[in-house]
Amino acid sequence: MASTEAHLPAGLLSPAERELLHQTWSDRPGFWGWVTAVDHKSVAKRYIFTAFLFFILGGLEAAAIRAQLARPENHLLDPDQYNQIFTMHGTTMMFLFGVPVQLAMAIYLVPLMVGTRNISFPRLNALGYWTYLIGGLFLYSGFILNTGPDAGWFSYVPLAGPQFSAGKRVDVWAQTVTFTEIAALIAAVELIVTILKQRAPGMSLNRIPVYVWAVLVTSFVVLFAMPSVALASMMLAMDRLVGSHFFNPAEGGDPLLWQHLYWFFGHPEVYIMFIPAAGFVSDIIPVFARRKMFGHTALVLSLVATGFVSFGLWVHHMFTTGLPQLGQSFFTGASLMIAIPSGVQVFCWIATLWAGRPRFATPLLFVIGFIVLFVCGGITGVMVASVPFDQQAHDTYFIVAHLHYVQVGAFVFPLFAAIYFWFPKMTGRLLSERLGKWNFWLFFIGVNVTFFPQHFLGLMGMTRRVYTYLPETGWGPLNLLSSVGAAMIGVSVLVFIANVFLSLREGVPAGDDPWGAHTLEWATASPPPPFNFAHLPVVGGLYPNWERGADAPVVTGLGNSHREVLATTVMDAVPDAIQTHPGPSVAPLLVALAIGVTFITGVFTPWGFVVGPVLLFPTMLMWLWPRRKPAAERAWCEERV
Amino acid sequence: MTRPPPRPGRAPALLALAALASACAHSDMSAVDPAGPQAGRIAGMTWYLTIVGTVVFIITIGFLLYALWRGNRRVESYAGEGAERHIRRWVIGATAVTTAILLVTLVYDFATGRALARFAEPDALTIRVTGHQWWWQAQYIDPDPSKRFETANEIHVPVGRRVRIEVRAADVIHSFWVPNLHGKVDLIPGYTNTTYFRADRAGIYHGRCAEFCGYQHARMDFLVIADPPARFAGWYRDQLRSSVPPADSVRQVGEQVFMGTRCAMCHAIRGTEAGSRVGPDLTHLASRGTIASATLPNTRGHLAGWVLDPQSQKPGVYMPPNQLKPDELHALLSYLQSLK
Amino acid sequence: MTPRQTGNVDVSGLPSVVFGQRALLWWGTLGFALIEGFSLVLTIASYLYLRQNEFDWPPGRTPNPDLLIPTVNTVLLLAMIVPMHAVDRAAKAFDGRGVRRNFAIATVMGAVVMTLRWWELLALNVRWDTHAYGSAAWAVVLMHSTLVIVDVFESATFCAIFRHGTAERKHYPDASDAAGYQYFLSLAWIPVYVVVFWLPRIL
Repeated sequence: MASTEAHLPAGLLSPAERELLHQTWSDRPGFWGWVTAVDHKSVAKRYIFTAFLFFILGGLEAAAIRAQLARPENHLLDPDQYNQIFTMHGTTMMFLFGVPVQLAMAIYLVPLMVGTRNISFPRLNALGYWTYLIGGLFLYSGFILNTGPDAGWFSYVPLAGPQFSAGKRVDVWAQTVTFTEIAALIAAVELIVTILKQRAPGMSLNRIPVYVWAVLVTSFVVLFAMPSVALASMMLAMDRLVGSHFFNPAEGGDPLLWQHLYWFFGHPEVYIMFIPAAGFVSDIIPVFARRKMFGHTALVLSLVATGFVSFGLWVHHMFTTGLPQLGQSFFTGASLMIAIPSGVQVFCWIATLWAGRPRFATPLLFVIGFIVLFVCGGITGVMVASVPFDQQAHDTYFIVAHLHYVQVGAFVFPLFAAIYFWFPKMTGRLLSERLGKWNFWLFFIGVNVTFFPQHFLGLMGMTRRVYTYLPETGWGPLNLLSSVGAAMIGVSVLVFIANVFLSLREGVPAGDDPWGAHTLEWATASPPPPFNFAHLPVVGGLYPNWERGADAPVVTGLGNSHREVLATTVMDAVPDAIQTHPGPSVAPLLVALAIGVTFITGVFTPWGFVVGPVLLFPTMLMWLWPRRKPAAERAWCEERV
Repeated sequence: MTRPPPRPGRAPALLALAALASACAHSDMSAVDPAGPQAGRIAGMTWYLTIVGTVVFIITIGFLLYALWRGNRRVESYAGEGAERHIRRWVIGATAVTTAILLVTLVYDFATGRALARFAEPDALTIRVTGHQWWWQAQYIDPDPSKRFETANEIHVPVGRRVRIEVRAADVIHSFWVPNLHGKVDLIPGYTNTTYFRADRAGIYHGRCAEFCGYQHARMDFLVIADPPARFAGWYRDQLRSSVPPADSVRQVGEQVFMGTRCAMCHAIRGTEAGSRVGPDLTHLASRGTIASATLPNTRGHLAGWVLDPQSQKPGVYMPPNQLKPDELHALLSYLQSLK
Repeated sequence: MTPRQTGNVDVSGLPSVVFGQRALLWWGTLGFALIEGFSLVLTIASYLYLRQNEFDWPPGRTPNPDLLIPTVNTVLLLAMIVPMHAVDRAAKAFDGRGVRRNFAIATVMGAVVMTLRWWELLALNVRWDTHAYGSAAWAVVLMHSTLVIVDVFESATFCAIFRHGTAERKHYPDASDAAGYQYFLSLAWIPVYVVVFWLPRIL
C-alpha cells in the first residue's frame, strides 16, 4: 500500500523483497497456522479476545450477585451458590481478565510503539497465552462441575484449608492462580527485554512513550509480586494435599502468613492493572487535546514511584488483624503518600486538556470518565488508608464501593478508551462513534448508580460477601438502586459488543492514522503487516509520528529471508546487534499442555508433579532442539557472524 | 470547535448526598451514629475525611470541567516555553496542596489511632468472645471464679464503664464488629486480640461478623445491650444463677426431651447434666430477645421452627433438623421458654 | 549521547552472534533468575516468619538438621561453578568440544547433587507434615531443588546439541548464558544452606 510508505523514502525495498519479507514473517495459513503462530499481534489479539470473554463471564457473575441482593431475604441463590459465584467473580475479574488484558494490550502495542518487528521471545509469548487459556478453562470446568472455588478470591485460611473446605474446590482455585501467574511472568520478562533491548535507533530513554514506561514499570511489579502468590497458593495446595502445616496454628503454622504473602502480591496486583491504564491515558490525551503532554518527566517519575511504593502498602488490607500499631502506621503513611504521584498525573492530564483543543471522540470521553471516577476512588482510598476509619469500613460495602471505583473507574475506563483508540489499528476499521457515546454514558451513569450507594451501605453496617440480609436493616432500597445500576452496566456492555461486531463488518476503514496520533504504531498500516514496519523507523524525538517528515531516516540492512530483529543499547538505543527470531512452532502449545497436565493432575495427587515433568522434558527438548536446516541455509547462518 | 458533552448538574447530586447521609445517621447499626467515645473518635475522623474528600473532589473535577470548557474554546493550543512555565506553577501548587492535606490527614490519623489504643484500662469489665461458625460464645471473666458465667450471642454491658473484649476463634477467621461502639477486630485462630469500648448511652446495638467465614457468614449477628448500671447488675446476678428447674410436669417432660434427644449433645444448661460446649449455652435462653445468632426473634413460633429445622433458616449451619412429635415439641418449648 | 540521525542507518554490518548483555536471551535469563531468586527470598522469609510462633527452633523434640551431606552438597554446588566457567570461556572462543565436555561434567555433577538432595531432605530430621517448621524447611530446600532439576536438564540438552554437530554459532552465546544461570543457582544455595541447616543451631 502506498500510504504505508507515505512517511518513508520510496524504493528501499523492491516489491520482490517486500514479498519475501512478508513470507518470512507471516503466520502459516489455516488452523495449523493459528496453532503455531508466534507473531505478537496474532497472539495478543486472541489474548485480548479471551480476556474479554472472561470479562463477560465475570460480569454475568456480578449480575447474579446484584440480582440476589436486590431484595432482602431473596431466594435466587442459596449460600453455597452465592459463595461460588462471588468467588468466581473476583477470581475471573482479577486473574483471568484484569492482569491478562493489560499484558495482552502491551504485547500488541509495545513492539509497534518501540519500532521493532516482534516481541523479544515469540515462542515464550505463545506459551504464555496457552498457559493462561488452560488455567481459565480449568477454573470454569471446575465451576460447571460444581467443584468451583467458594472461599473468596482471596481464599483466606483456615476457611480455605483442608479442615474447613472439603473437596477440590480450593485446589482448583490454587492451580488456576498458578497458570495465570506463569503467563503473567512470561509476559513481564518478554516485555522488559523488548523495551530495553529492541527499541528503534534513536529512541533513547527520554524518548520512550509514557505508555511504554508504564508497561516497563508494570512488568517489574509483576516480576516481584507474582512469586508471592505463587508461593502462597503452593503452600495452600500442599496443606490441602500432603498435610503440611504452613497455615495450621495447631502445629506452629499461621493464618496471617497467608494474608501477608497474599497481600504482598494483592496490592501490587491492582497497580499492575492501574499503571498501564494511566499509561494509556498519557498517550491518548495528547492526541485528543491536540497538544504535547505536559510534564512528561513528571509522569514517568510518577509511574516509577507508584510501582515502587505499591510494594509498601500491603498491610493496609490487614488493619483489623491486631498487628502492632507502630507497624500499621508505616503502611498508613505509605498508603497516603502513593496518592501524591497519582495526583501529579491527574494534574498533568488536566493541564494538558486545558492548554489543548479537546476533540470529544469516544476515547476522550472514557478518559474524562476515568478521571472523575479515579479521583473519587482515590479519595475513598485515602479514607481507608486511615487505620481508625478502616476499622469501621474494612470488609463492608464501603470497600466494595472503593475497589470498584478504582478498578472499574481507573482500569476498565482507560481500557475502553484504549480499545476505542487502538481498535482501528488492530482491525483496520473504526468503531462507531454513536454507539461509543451510548456505551460511555450508560457505563458512566451505571457505574455511579451501582457503586456510589454502596459507600453508605457500608457505613450502615452492611458487610461484604453476604448472600442475603434482613429487611429490618433498612439496606433494601440502596441495594435495589445498586442493582438497577448494574443492569445499566450490563446494557452498556451489550452496546459495546454490538459496536464491535457491527464495526468489524461495516465500520469506517481506518487508514494508517485516523486520529493524527504521535506514536510509532500509527506510522504503519492498519492492521500492521506481519513484519510491523517495512523499514524500522529511526526516532528523533518524543512524538515520532508528529515529527517525522516524508523523508525520515529508516533502518536498512535487516535481512528479509530470516526473521531478523535489531537489538539496540539500553540507554541510547544505538544499533548493536542482529538477533534471529524463531518462526512458527507448535512447541509452545505442547509445553503448555504438559504444564497443564502437571498442575491439573497435581490437584488430585502429588504424583502429578512427577508425571508432569516426564511430559515436560520431551516437549521442552522439542522446543530447544535446533531446527534441521538445509546445508545452504546452514552455511548462510554460519557466515552471518 | 467541537461540542463538549453536557455537564451533569452538581446540585441534585449534593442533595442526594445529604439525604443519604441523614438516612444512615440514625440506626442501631451505623458507624456514623456513635454511642461511645471509640466510635465517636472514628466518626469524627469519618466526617473530616468525607468533608475534605468532597471538597477536593469538587475542586479537582471543577478544574477538569473548566479545562475542557476552556480548551474547547481555544483556536490554538497553548504551547511553548511560557506555557510550560505557567502550567508548571499550577501543577506544583496543586501537588503542594495535596501533600499538605495528606500530611495533616496523616497526623490526625496517628493522633486518633493513639487515642483509641490508649483507651485500654486494667479495671475494665472483661468479656472473652469466641467466634464459632456461625455463632458467638461470650464468657464473662472476673478474678473471682464464682463471678464467671457463659452466654451466647447477646452481650450486656453497663453504660459508662469500659469493657475489654478478648476475641478468639474456634475454627476459622471471624470479625467482631459493633459499628455504633467501635471499629472491628478480627478473630484469628492461634491469636487472641483485644479491643476496648464504652457505651455512653443505653440501647441495643447490633453487631455482625465482618470476615467471610463460610455458608452462614451473612447470618452471624450478635447484640450488645447497654444497660444502666443497676439494671446491668441485676442481669449479671441472674446470669450467674444456675438454670431454673422445671416448675411443672409439662416442663419436666420438656427437660427429659432435651436430655434424651440430641439437644444435650451440643448445648449446655448449667444445673443439669447437659454440659457440651459445641453449640451455644442455653442456661438463660429465655432472657434473650433473639435466637439463631440474633437473626430471629425469640418467640415460641420461631423457636419451634428453629428446633425442628434450622436448615431452612440458616442452610449449612451445623445444627441438624430434629424430628419431634407435637407433644414433645410443645413440652420442650415450654421448658426452653422457662429458662429465664 | 543520542546520535543525530540525518540519513538512513545501515545495520547490515552488525554481528548476529553476540555475548552477554548484548544478546536478548541474556536478559531473559536474568529475568528468570530475578523471579526465582525472589521466590527463594520469599520462601526463606516465610520460614523466618514462622520462627516467631515457637519458643524453640526446631520446636519440641525435633533435632537439629544434620550437617554432613548438606555440606557435601554445598561444596559440590559451588564446585559446579568451575566447569560452567569453563563452558563460558569455551563458548566465547567458539570451542565446541570444550563446551560439550564441560556441560557433560556439569550434568554429572548436577545429577549427583540432585541425588544427594534426597538425603539432604532426610538430613532435616523432620517430615514436612509434622509441624510448620518441617513444612517450611522442606519448602525452602524443594524450592531450590526445582532450579537444580531445570539446570541438569539444560546442561544435558546442551551436551546433546553440541554433541551431534547440530550446534551452530548462535548457540555459543546461549551456552554462555547457561553458565551465568549456574552461577546464580550455586550462589543462591548459600543462603538456603545457612538458613535451613545452620540457623536452628544459632536461633
